[in-house]
Amino acid sequence: MHLFPHLLAGLEFRTLPEQLVNGLFLGAIYALIALGYTMVYGVLRLINFAHGEVYMLGAYTALFVSYALGFGVGSTVTSSSVLNLLIMLLASMTVCSIVGVVIERFAYRPMRSHSRIASLITAIGVSLFLQYAGALFLPNSPPPSINEQVNPFRGSTQLTLVGPPASALQAIRDAKPAAEQATAAFNNYLKAHPTESEFNISPAGQPLRDAARTAEDKLESAEREVTGSGVTITIRYGELIIFITSLILMGILKYLVSNTRPGRAMRAVSHDFDSASLMGVNVNSIVTFTFIVGSALAGAGAMMQATFKGTPMTTFFGLLPGVKAFVAAVLGGIGNIPGAVLGGLLMGVAETLMIWLGYSRYADAIAFVVLIVVLLFRPEGLLGSAEVDKV
Amino acid sequence: MKFWTTRIVSFIIGIGGCFVIDLLSHRFVGSYEQRLVVLAGLYVTLAVSLNLINGITGQFSIGHAAFYQIGAYTAGYVSRTYITMGGHNPPAIPWLLGMMVLGAIAASIAGFVVGLPSLRLRGDYLAIVTLGFGEIIRILVQNTDALGGSYALDKIPKIQPIWLVWLLAIVCIAVCRNLIKTARGLTFLAVREDEVASSAMGVDVTSVKVTAFIIGSAFAGAAGALLAHYEGLITPTTFTMDVSFIILTMVVLGGTGSITGSAVAAIFLSYLPEYLRGLKTSAGEPLVVSGAAVIAGLAAVVVGVAFIKRILDSGRGTPRSRALKYLGIAVGVVILEPIISFALHPIKPLSSMSIEAGQLRMVIFAATLIVLMLLRPEGVFAHHEFSWSWVRKLFGKRPVPQAEVAA
Amino acid sequence: MRLLKDKHSSFIAAAALAALALGCTPTNPDSGNGNSTTTTTSTSGGAKRPATTAPGNKITGDTILIGLVASQNGDLRPWGVDSVNGAQLAVDEVNKAGGINGKKVELRIGDSASKPEQGKSACEKLISDGVVGVLGEVASGITAQMAQAAYEKGVPDIAIGATRVDLTDIGNNVFRVCYTDDFQGPVMANFAYKELGRRNMALMTDKKQPYSTGLSASFRDTFTKLGGKIVDEQFYESGQTQFTAQLTQLKAKNPDGIFCSGYFNEVGPIARQTREAGMTNDAVKLLGGDGWDSSQILETGGEAIIGGYFCNHYNGQEKRPEVQDFLSKWKEKYPSNPVPATTMGALAYDAAMLMCDALKRAKTPDSQGLRDAIADTENFKGVTGTITLKGNNGNPPKRAIVVELTKDGQRFAKAYEPSEVVR
Repeated sequence: MHLFPHLLAGLEFRTLPEQLVNGLFLGAIYALIALGYTMVYGVLRLINFAHGEVYMLGAYTALFVSYALGFGVGSTVTSSSVLNLLIMLLASMTVCSIVGVVIERFAYRPMRSHSRIASLITAIGVSLFLQYAGALFLPNSPPPSINEQVNPFRGSTQLTLVGPPASALQAIRDAKPAAEQATAAFNNYLKAHPTESEFNISPAGQPLRDAARTAEDKLESAEREVTGSGVTITIRYGELIIFITSLILMGILKYLVSNTRPGRAMRAVSHDFDSASLMGVNVNSIVTFTFIVGSALAGAGAMMQATFKGTPMTTFFGLLPGVKAFVAAVLGGIGNIPGAVLGGLLMGVAETLMIWLGYSRYADAIAFVVLIVVLLFRPEGLLGSAEVDKV
Repeated sequence: MKFWTTRIVSFIIGIGGCFVIDLLSHRFVGSYEQRLVVLAGLYVTLAVSLNLINGITGQFSIGHAAFYQIGAYTAGYVSRTYITMGGHNPPAIPWLLGMMVLGAIAASIAGFVVGLPSLRLRGDYLAIVTLGFGEIIRILVQNTDALGGSYALDKIPKIQPIWLVWLLAIVCIAVCRNLIKTARGLTFLAVREDEVASSAMGVDVTSVKVTAFIIGSAFAGAAGALLAHYEGLITPTTFTMDVSFIILTMVVLGGTGSITGSAVAAIFLSYLPEYLRGLKTSAGEPLVVSGAAVIAGLAAVVVGVAFIKRILDSGRGTPRSRALKYLGIAVGVVILEPIISFALHPIKPLSSMSIEAGQLRMVIFAATLIVLMLLRPEGVFAHHEFSWSWVRKLFGKRPVPQAEVAA
Repeated sequence: MRLLKDKHSSFIAAAALAALALGCTPTNPDSGNGNSTTTTTSTSGGAKRPATTAPGNKITGDTILIGLVASQNGDLRPWGVDSVNGAQLAVDEVNKAGGINGKKVELRIGDSASKPEQGKSACEKLISDGVVGVLGEVASGITAQMAQAAYEKGVPDIAIGATRVDLTDIGNNVFRVCYTDDFQGPVMANFAYKELGRRNMALMTDKKQPYSTGLSASFRDTFTKLGGKIVDEQFYESGQTQFTAQLTQLKAKNPDGIFCSGYFNEVGPIARQTREAGMTNDAVKLLGGDGWDSSQILETGGEAIIGGYFCNHYNGQEKRPEVQDFLSKWKEKYPSNPVPATTMGALAYDAAMLMCDALKRAKTPDSQGLRDAIADTENFKGVTGTITLKGNNGNPPKRAIVVELTKDGQRFAKAYEPSEVVR
């Protein structure tokens, strides 16, 4: 009954442009986290299940730094600057890099000479450990979130493709003075009668309240008419920043990998681990470098999500993004950097389109369906290269 | 002749064991311990059946909970509709057996569907497909109101024979163990070792992989049917990704490919978190420790593991000298813990924080997992198996010469 | 070999009857102070819930053990920790006042790790340790499992925050201190329709949480019955951070209010993203259930959530002595969390207090006596309202209050007695 509610009849083509933008913005975050998975996989052939937890720790770091900057619970600081955001971003990236390197050194490196499935179990163990041990020491009851005052870029802007009808705009202008007047009159009444409130009113105040409500309703429905009609694209400043920052970070990564010495070494290790070490590449330091870069990207993603979305933090913060990003990485061809970006964006768009089609119940499943379908036709992912390997 | 005698005797001992377990748990222990016995039996079935796919055939599957879920929901739904809603009252055990078969069939159909991509996919790609399949099933069930949606499929009639749970486990072990002793079964190992080579030698790789998936998932489905009738109420949260991971962990921790290992690890890992519930002081009160002590304990364990790992890797020394070294490390860890704890004491938030031991159980569980994997990456049992010749050796008799298959 | 017991078929028949009866059970008009009408429902209700036949545990020695099942691990941890704190506060208070008939009460905690089957293990473990009664859980799915275990052992269970309707049909040993979904949803629907004048509401449902799906369904039923229209329902899964796509869909349907039935973790970001989508605080009201209650809701929602309304059990600004006493005791005992993080703190406190109160009244020092005493509870003055379990089949008819979120915190808007609500 839920599967096919009203197949085509219910489709809102007006919202399609906005949904595509939503999808791209959503995908950018998946792509950012997916890069960490894909880089580690490329170098070590290891699915780093603890990557989601590194992401979680990045969000907590951003929270603590925001406290240190004076934006704690009940803070009265109301103005913030880009500088604060940059400090939080750098702190998250740094802490995540350190955590990533520590995990690699103590949990993965000793396992490197053994079977890959053993490393995988260690990764699962580390992931469980960080979730549950973190729950003991990090604040999570109630789950805290970053104060929105820290973010100077709140709100959104509308790009209007087809404007709302002029009559609706006129209706707002008409209704506004009356509503303001009636509300003011009612508020004056309330001030004069402090024992009463909007939902607990004496018969004397009732006409005033009803008048205020009617006038407000008129204005509100006119406003809704405007927001609900026309074809617009809502650009949330926060998401725009996430998107642009992600693109910049991916650009930096691209430069690092293709134009620098460690990047070249990383590609060599990824191509053939043993030959690279024979050729004089210091494999250990390259692996460390990979973990630094991958974890830093996760940290950046976490800080931006936590700050711009206001999501409360528990130690399971990284679970869902982690899994989805992992799927994105495989979708694009795990081990392949442009593939991860493509996979992430594709997944974001697929998820939003699913919601656009009216199946938000199944939006989380679509990621996996797309993945299975793609892998059936391209077993090595969209951009991955075929290679024979064994478990 | 000898071959069959061993098998028949083992099987009879196994079946007898089931009834002994049933009898003992009904006679001597409370329902809490009975519950642990049942859950352990189910996990043994799950781990051994996953081992057939992962360890023996080498197909990397990490979505085993999906088959468990399919079996549980199919059997639960039919039972609920027929008995609870329909008002019928069939004899319990035959009905439950029928439901197990039904759950097994449903799960093996799913196993067949998942097995198909394995023809094209390898390694991690197959892993993520099985994981994704598990999530798809969970999301579908969660959104189907007829199956109880996100709440639960409830009012399933309760049928709780402990012996049947263990009988399923024994049958599952017997099937897997004997499969790899047959010529047909050797092809499973061949596929694991080298797909290309085995297909060159005439092994039908496709059929082997799909068979492994079908058999493995059928057992998981039957276990699910038992769970549904044991609990009377099943929820989608019982079959999440982390359950799949725990089952996989049992397989790897026991030693990939070792059936004995899977079974032992399943019992150990299903019991460990429950054992940790009961952490008490000598006075019988719940144990409470400070945050500093927890951190200190973890740090001491890290140091200890690093040293033991070093000794293990160097591979030098007589068994006696190594044992002495391990003992020294253990003593060192015990001494180190309070020292670090004392050093951390000035940090106010840590020392003033009191943690009840019950809250630590998942942390200890995860830490145990990491430590065991680091110290024994090939799994506790590696590729060894329990066998009667090994028992004889234990009692000082000469082992019967037998062509052992390196499993 | 054991065959299906007769117990089952009778249980099943009883459950079916219960489902029928629910539709026509009259709501108790004078729940607060009346007891004349309650006796009649009690006789008819007594047959409805299967009676436990197991003996349960006895009180031995100088301490009375009571158990609490809570999610100390997993994603329900915030509610679990709060329920532990609340129950512990109550038990300490009772012990400080001299205990029960000279015996100390000891609270044993079992971790359910946010999973039903672990909750059942925890409950069985507690019972095998000798607790005479258990408290918990917060979530309906886990409660269903643990209450079943308690039923089989004849141990009474007082559920803390499980609002699913049919939970108390498990047996006559199951009680709760909170109201049920079929009251909370209608309260908000009535409030939205009659007080806020909303006619076209949209729903945002967390499909992973049974709490949320149940609440959305009951809101939808009542709201459409009142004459309103549900224009759209969108789903998300807890743990998600981005709701823009769902909100874009909702916006196109032009709702005048959104009912977010999930927990506050996701409600905060939903509120922010709703406002960013162009739906203003005045034009599109946000409403929700008691899952919103948290000391953090204003932090997570920011300015976007101001002007939202939700249904709650009590309100910190209430002048009732129980509320003010409770809050000051909490502040004293937990200085690092000066107010309860969620509504479960108060509910767990009430549940534990009610159990201790019943222990005092129990005629025999065992589970059976405790069960009877709990079932006879009348006019128990709790933090979250007056609780009368006698004749109510374990579901106390309680007052619900609607709270408005303002810049300075929660502000009382309107109280609903069970009889006032059109369902």
